[in-house]
Amino acid sequence: MQWITIFKKELLEDWRNFKWVWVPLVFIIICIMDPLSTYYLPQILDAVGGVPEGTVIEGPELGPTEAIMFSLTEVSMLGVLVIVAISMAVIAGERKSGVAELVLVKPVSYFTYISAKWAAKLLLVFTAYLIGMLTSWYYVNLLFGDLSASQFIGLFLFYFIWLIFVVTLTFLYNTVVKIPGLVLTLSLITIMAMSAINQIFSFRMPWFPNSISEHITTMLAEGAIPNDLWGAAGITLGLSVILLVASNFILKTKEMAD
Amino acid sequence: MDVFMMLAPLIIIQFLLMIVAIIALLKTEQTNGPKPMWAAIIILISFIGPILFFIVGRRQY
Amino acid sequence: MTVIEVEKLTKAFKGKTIVKGLDFQLEKGRCVALLGPNGAGKTTTLRMLSGLLKSTSGIINFSGSQKGEDIRKYIGYLPQYPVFHPWMTGKEFLVYVGQLAHLTKQEASEKADQLLKKVAIYESRNQRIGKYSGGMKQRLGIAQAMIHSPQLLMLDEPVSSLDPIGRREVLTLMEELKTQTTVLFSTHILGDAEEICDDLLLMHQGEILESGSIDALRQRHQSAKFEIALRGDSATYLETLQAFSSVQDVFQEKGEVHVVVEDIELARKEILTKVLEEDWPLEKLALSKTTLEDLFMKVVKK
Repeated sequence: MQWITIFKKELLEDWRNFKWVWVPLVFIIICIMDPLSTYYLPQILDAVGGVPEGTVIEGPELGPTEAIMFSLTEVSMLGVLVIVAISMAVIAGERKSGVAELVLVKPVSYFTYISAKWAAKLLLVFTAYLIGMLTSWYYVNLLFGDLSASQFIGLFLFYFIWLIFVVTLTFLYNTVVKIPGLVLTLSLITIMAMSAINQIFSFRMPWFPNSISEHITTMLAEGAIPNDLWGAAGITLGLSVILLVASNFILKTKEMAD
Repeated sequence: MDVFMMLAPLIIIQFLLMIVAIIALLKTEQTNGPKPMWAAIIILISFIGPILFFIVGRRQY
Repeated sequence: MTVIEVEKLTKAFKGKTIVKGLDFQLEKGRCVALLGPNGAGKTTTLRMLSGLLKSTSGIINFSGSQKGEDIRKYIGYLPQYPVFHPWMTGKEFLVYVGQLAHLTKQEASEKADQLLKKVAIYESRNQRIGKYSGGMKQRLGIAQAMIHSPQLLMLDEPVSSLDPIGRREVLTLMEELKTQTTVLFSTHILGDAEEICDDLLLMHQGEILESGSIDALRQRHQSAKFEIALRGDSATYLETLQAFSSVQDVFQEKGEVHVVVEDIELARKEILTKVLEEDWPLEKLALSKTTLEDLFMKVVKK
């Protein structure tokens, strides 16, 4: 009951501050930007007129799977940045302003408070990402050839697991510090550090969270879900659960009133 | 023509994003920095401008 | 009946002990003022009682609660500077925190309307809180603290940030609230405490120096006092006055010398004799009773 109350309040808050409008719009742009511009690059260059007469621009022959991976690559950069930015103040902001003092003095458990906010934010991220990727899928089918529904669903859901991790990581930092800008910085640094670690040790750690997108590429190429993708997805989900529980303990040790 | 038809949605969505940002700007009581500055950012810097405004432009916590 | 019992409540923060082993209990239905100058540790104490701060040591025992039970449901708390979600309306916020305090939506809504009328912001219930004035926010703050009909209502400096009219309104409101629940509120203004409270906890530098009903305290600390005004610098006479056997305490206030005495007759004789002997330039000599204000000032200056 209390959980639903906080969940609904979060949805209402994100509706009133336009997040439910602008985040999906931004995700549509993020997702279709690259496939579109890649496809139309020759024409665009031509229209701009920067190419001397007679030059033949030979774009690499792209298949639908490569094209849709362009979308995921953008989501992994700009998309993740937006996700972290819209989550950076979800708890930190309330602690900083002092609203948390009024809310947490009511008999509500900290885990209810955190997990309801977490679920509400995930629903927003899921919706925006879904709308963006569906648009991208539509364009890919139109411009690059057919991408099967099962392939799309596979890549969509597996990559969403990484996004769950990103949201949860941001929540963890929300409980550690109460300056939203610092939450943003720490989250991005962590994600970049993880990405660096992944690049250095990728062959030794096939189940590392950041390797999900590589495994998705393999999945699209081979047409079957590689075992390492299951492994990485499982590890990432497990880590997310651990981070969420850890957030609860960290928030409990914080003095709400300092 | 074909190119234009395909790129039109992208342009329309960017425009929509700008409109929503302007509405939000008008409705917000307190912005971080002067409103005319934010209006300029939203209109002049396509895509990034509205996002910047939504993320750091408003005091709302 | 006791509502809450506190034993050896202590809070240390960054090596400094802010609250030093408080012992007190609050009786049901009383209005208690936690009085003390700024920095006495009042806010820290209230925050520990409300569960927002963890005590370093000590016991807080809420009567009627089971061991390990969440006592927050019995407590309503208004911080000194309440902050709300500016995008919510007053009514929405009350329903929200009401539901967090285990009321159903229906119950919360009815209670919210009732409280909004009581604190006189019913007309603005559907306005965004961002547009509320300071006084309206303070009253909304009291309403949110009362939403779940708590057994103990704690208010941290509820009137100190308000203008005289807002102050009067909130004090009147508190008069009414104290008929419904036990009220503990902190203040640094004795007048506010005297005006609406039954009991007093006098706090200074993390310790409770005096406690009891205001009437009892007034009686216990009532003693006679001469107020003397002299031409010129009255400070030069302090030492002479201090030396009298009948004099307990001498201090200066607004250019006058206040002499607290034990035996009025003896003191009068001693002082007047000295005045005549040394031909003091006396301008005023008056007998008065000491007030709680004097006690407060004495305690604080010590």
